[in-house]
Amino acid sequence: MSALELAGARREQTRARYPDAKGYVERDGVRVFYEAYGDAPTTFLLFPTGPIAYSRLWKAQIPYLSRSFRVVVFDPRGNGRSDRPDTPEAYSRWEFAEDGRAILEAVGADTALLGGLCHGGGSALMLAATHPAVALGVFTIAPFIPMLTPEHLNYRMFPFDERLETDDGWAKWNHHYLHRDYRGFLEFFFSEQLREPHSTKQIEDCVEWGLEGSPDALIISRAAPPPWEGEEDARALCSRVRCPVLIVHGDLDGCQTRERAAAVAELTGGTLVTMEGTGHLPQARQPVKVNGLMREFAESIVPPKPKVKTWTRALSRPRRALYISSPIGLGHARRDVAIAKELRKLHPDLEIDWLAQDPVTRVLEAEGERIHPASAELANETTHIESESAEHDLHVFQAIRRMDEILVANFMLFLDLVREEPYDLWIGDEAWEVDYFLHENPELKSAAYVWLTDFVGWLPFEDGGEREAFVTADYNAEMIEHIARFPRIRDRAVFVGNPDDVVPDRFGKGLPRIRDWTEQHYDFAGYVTGFEPVTDREQLRAELEYASDEQVCVVTVGGSGVGEDLLRRVIDAFPETKERVPKLRMVVVAGPRIDPATLPSHGGLEVHAYVHDLYRHLAACDLAVVQGGLTTGMELTASRRPFLYFPLRHHFEQNFHVHHRLERYRAGRRMDFEVDGPDEIAAAIADEIGREVDYLPVETDGAARAAGLIGQLL
Amino acid sequence: MSVAAPAREQTRARYPDAEGYVERDGVRVSYEVYGDAPTTFLLFPTSPISHSRLWKAQIPYLSRYFRVITFDPRGNGKSDRPETPEAYSYWEYVQDGRDILEATGTETALLGGICDGGGWALMLAAIHPTAALGVAAIAPCVPRLTPTHPNHLRYPSDVPLDTDEGWAKCNVHYWRRDYRGFLEFFFSQQIPEPHSTKQIEDCVQWGLDGGPESLVLCDEEAPAPFATEEEARELMGRIRCPVLVVHGELDGCQTRERAAAVAELTGGTLVAFEGAGHLPQARHPVKVNELIREFGQSLERRTM
Repeated sequence: MSALELAGARREQTRARYPDAKGYVERDGVRVFYEAYGDAPTTFLLFPTGPIAYSRLWKAQIPYLSRSFRVVVFDPRGNGRSDRPDTPEAYSRWEFAEDGRAILEAVGADTALLGGLCHGGGSALMLAATHPAVALGVFTIAPFIPMLTPEHLNYRMFPFDERLETDDGWAKWNHHYLHRDYRGFLEFFFSEQLREPHSTKQIEDCVEWGLEGSPDALIISRAAPPPWEGEEDARALCSRVRCPVLIVHGDLDGCQTRERAAAVAELTGGTLVTMEGTGHLPQARQPVKVNGLMREFAESIVPPKPKVKTWTRALSRPRRALYISSPIGLGHARRDVAIAKELRKLHPDLEIDWLAQDPVTRVLEAEGERIHPASAELANETTHIESESAEHDLHVFQAIRRMDEILVANFMLFLDLVREEPYDLWIGDEAWEVDYFLHENPELKSAAYVWLTDFVGWLPFEDGGEREAFVTADYNAEMIEHIARFPRIRDRAVFVGNPDDVVPDRFGKGLPRIRDWTEQHYDFAGYVTGFEPVTDREQLRAELEYASDEQVCVVTVGGSGVGEDLLRRVIDAFPETKERVPKLRMVVVAGPRIDPATLPSHGGLEVHAYVHDLYRHLAACDLAVVQGGLTTGMELTASRRPFLYFPLRHHFEQNFHVHHRLERYRAGRRMDFEVDGPDEIAAAIADEIGREVDYLPVETDGAARAAGLIGQLL
Repeated sequence: MSVAAPAREQTRARYPDAEGYVERDGVRVSYEVYGDAPTTFLLFPTSPISHSRLWKAQIPYLSRYFRVITFDPRGNGKSDRPETPEAYSYWEYVQDGRDILEATGTETALLGGICDGGGWALMLAAIHPTAALGVAAIAPCVPRLTPTHPNHLRYPSDVPLDTDEGWAKCNVHYWRRDYRGFLEFFFSQQIPEPHSTKQIEDCVQWGLDGGPESLVLCDEEAPAPFATEEEARELMGRIRCPVLVVHGELDGCQTRERAAAVAELTGGTLVAFEGAGHLPQARHPVKVNELIREFGQSLERRTM
């Protein structure tokens, strides 16, 4: 593997959980890298598979399991941060099993639960067979025990070492093809192993992990000495396993056969769980189900500490709702609080708990709302989104895709919570994890559920090419199929807006028009501003100490750090703007994540880290300069203030959905960060400041309407 | 008290596959066996105030997963009504359970019980650890472990009183005068959940299947199983198998403190039922069935 190829690998996406310890074990000069998560008394060692992937393949399990177990994972010889030895002997199956044992020793675990997938499932079983005192139990997915049963037909279609005349299909599983087009092989191979529709992200992950290894490691490990002579040895090995065994096998597995999984179950006296409609990698594609199976299996062997639990008779339960408020875009917080207040008017006995994270929790705390303590354990989405942004650029669709690990982790937390505490109603405002995984695991729905959103449909940018058009359409298609197949999941789907706010586009090639579909599947609450409209603007200006003859321009980029480039550019425009608008008073609000001291200063320019009740300043100003977010845009629209807005590059929601809505209201002037420099900004400010607007009015009863729709379920 | 007048037993969801008696010192105790699963779940009855039908909501479900054995207590149901207090000692009931396990060829079993029966199951697990895979006890009565529930202390139970109000009915003279009146009062107190008429009627009927004399012998005259709190604690501390304790916060017979002490001393799990009384197996059968099955299966798997 050349350094050049390695350098081309994408930055690892944000994890939901980072290791508490890491290290290497070294055997015969080969260093193997491991990570340990959590400090629970029982260790759960998860074997990697062969060098085609590495420890990240457990990314959907680690955050969940490490809340109950000390989870230890490692990278296989030939991939990840482990060495790439160059002799076939170093890749013997026994070496992988022994690496696992050496790691247990290194972390001081005398006994452990063992887990493994494919090759790693075999390694876990080998360790359990040869070191029965170590293994408390083995959880395997599609275990690969060589020679136990005939190899999967896919591997027998073409000879591995010969030069072939074709590259079609399984002819790619060939020494020469691997060298010629390793990525092509990985893309084919993982598409065959993740046969479930809508698996683009899981396939991309696997290809990425494969590329961190190399074709050489795959070829050399295939040439490793066999671990035993034949079928009888393989059977004898399985029979030596004394601990409980659970085998998971997907019926669409294109790597390990059902026959093999069944043989392992029979010989070990284990339980076989067949997952129908599922391929070779259910831990990635069906993470919620697999996580549940793993934890149940582990707890059947190592029961959790006794504790006091409570169950409340149904008619003795207080009426309770759990409100899950998305932190992506702080705007949700205020509207959710407004809806919650209206809900309490309808149901004064209703108790509302919030599952939310920073910065939403700041608003909730200020409002005296009850934040569920489990909120503290949520993996942070805002930090991830910020880490995905560049200069005035946030590819929000990719950022959400690259948040998949966080979404699984946070869904598992939600699931544990609602299993312990009964709620009458779950309300998810763009709570993507709750909505997606409930549709993937419909049997887990145990309360009424309301979904709220202010946009429908993932939309591609042209510069994303055909791939982005395909993937956004694929996401939309899965969502449409979810709703069609399980209409019982969303008891209400509430669109925060009106039918005209929905974009006219299609969900993708061959898919319905977004507006038609949304009108059929949503109720419309109208827009929810979350504040009372200002009635006396002169009075407000006086309170904020804005003189009546000043031309106040407020510049704000919301609560994230993504907006610094825009702030700088507007500040650069200040001198010229001041010349054109002599009465100008420019107020720049940097927000909590940008240090005002790092911004350039000009005489007469005010820069604040924070202003209380920003919406009041926006209602009082003569012009605002903002990003393209919905909340701020609609606040300005409701307050009838002129404004310039700069959608973030590659932010489909700001560029398409919000833009469409503001156009409908005839609100704001759209600017373009690509082309609009200080001169253009100064000119636009001069044009727009103080202008009388002819915006459509924004309704003020949105929160009450939303609460009315939700309250019917209580 | 005549046993001639009981209402015909209502249709069962599941009838036993085997029935029999064990006899010890001339006392015959009737048992029933449901299903033939490899793991046995022995459900103890409670005192002669009731009999094995109190498990009617559990038997059909649990017998799909376990071989369920129930028995009638000395003094009620199809078991004998011995006439000496000694025959009603707690230890006799414990031994009845053990004899039934032996009679049915059962070496190890999951044990379940409610109130007195919960105490008996725990005592069996304490003295025969190899027989017990686990104990699921609802509102277990382990005498002396903690102070008795205040309801039982409001009036002396063995002297004539000048009132029949409320807990004054828990008195041997009242029992003999109006046993049905006592049963109706007592079970209304024990099933305080609203809308419990059927469960109360059932319990009253099962009580009438026995009679006041057995209850007098068992509750008032039988020798105490342990002399002191220390003995009770020591016995609970000897239990080595997993224990599940269920307790309803509105229980008018056994205190939460007692349930918590059992859980603590046995290292068991306590599941508190809010809004529930003394007989959740009757009033909240779905939740109780699920808890017992999960508990049973978690232990079954571990011993595979």
